Amino acid sequence: MSFEDWLRADRLPHIWCSGCSNGTILNCTMAAVDMMDWDPDRTVVVSGIGCSSRAAGYVEADSLHTTHGRALAFATGVKLAEPSLNVVVFTGDGDLAAIGGNHFIHACRRNIDLTVVCMNNLIYGMTGGQGSPTTPLGALSTTTPYGAAEPAFDLAALAVAAGANYVARWTSYHVRELEKAVKAGLETPGLSFIEVRAGCPTNYGRKNRIREATDQLEQFRTRSMLKVKYDRLVAEGKPVPHDAIVVGEFVRRSNPAMGVAP
Amino acid sequence: MKLAIDERRCKGCNLCTQVCPYHIFRPGTAANRKGVLVPELDRPERCTNCRLRNLYGRTLCGVCQLTCPDQAIHWQSERPYEPVRIEVEY
Repeated sequence: MSFEDWLRADRLPHIWCSGCSNGTILNCTMAAVDMMDWDPDRTVVVSGIGCSSRAAGYVEADSLHTTHGRALAFATGVKLAEPSLNVVVFTGDGDLAAIGGNHFIHACRRNIDLTVVCMNNLIYGMTGGQGSPTTPLGALSTTTPYGAAEPAFDLAALAVAAGANYVARWTSYHVRELEKAVKAGLETPGLSFIEVRAGCPTNYGRKNRIREATDQLEQFRTRSMLKVKYDRLVAEGKPVPHDAIVVGEFVRRSNPAMGVAP
Repeated sequence: MKLAIDERRCKGCNLCTQVCPYHIFRPGTAANRKGVLVPELDRPERCTNCRLRNLYGRTLCGVCQLTCPDQAIHWQSERPYEPVRIEVEY
């Protein structure tokens, strides 16, 4: 089997724009799910609202397309009602960090046995490019025409602080690493959070001089910095590029988890 | 195995031209029926997965397939090579 067997062929091609990274992340996640040898009838894919959350509709498993920001709340209910199900949550940055921020920190605190894949494209893509809590300082968007004035949310650090058992961050350029990270997340009991930096050529790139999807990918390649290198630079007191994307595994621990099948 | 692009799914983002280590994909020049510039294949027999997948029994490389956001890249199995006897009449 390959990840293509997990996708609903009659629903493809999907509605995402040309060059949108969400399709890449869907491929990598389903490739990792495929490696777990799960039964599609015992797998639930939950998503909220947004571009990223269309992903659940393309997966050949039981899928739940829920209200905005409440993907984790619904997934918590699914997992606690039937702990033998395997639950994967697709969510976006506006879904998870803005309207669902409270659900996110409490799902991390409760450490429920979910795997959360966050497609972080730094903007509200579906509604027309409004600034989200993860829009970086100075980036242009529909609601921040003079550059975002507020510092951005670091979702991986938030998940570490809130108590998730496995936290990693990769970009849509690192497909094999992402696949391995999602697989490690699926194997870890407790909440696993994988933040994936995604490119949005239509709404984010167009305003921020990364109009082409290939430019976005090149930027991910050149700006990514492994966490070990970042930690070393910080420890040595050396300067870190301000636009570096710190990628890698942030935490892997075995705190007591909820919703694990006995 | 043979590398193939599904023209019904491809949206012409050219991400495959960037990730392939052999640069097999080249940006397309002619628009298809949907107006999409589907990338062209430059000597696809160089692809590692095409050559060695059956030998190793697993997917090798496969980065283009994972990266393609539109699930348009796949490998088709080919019939094994069979010598054909041709008789020429003089």
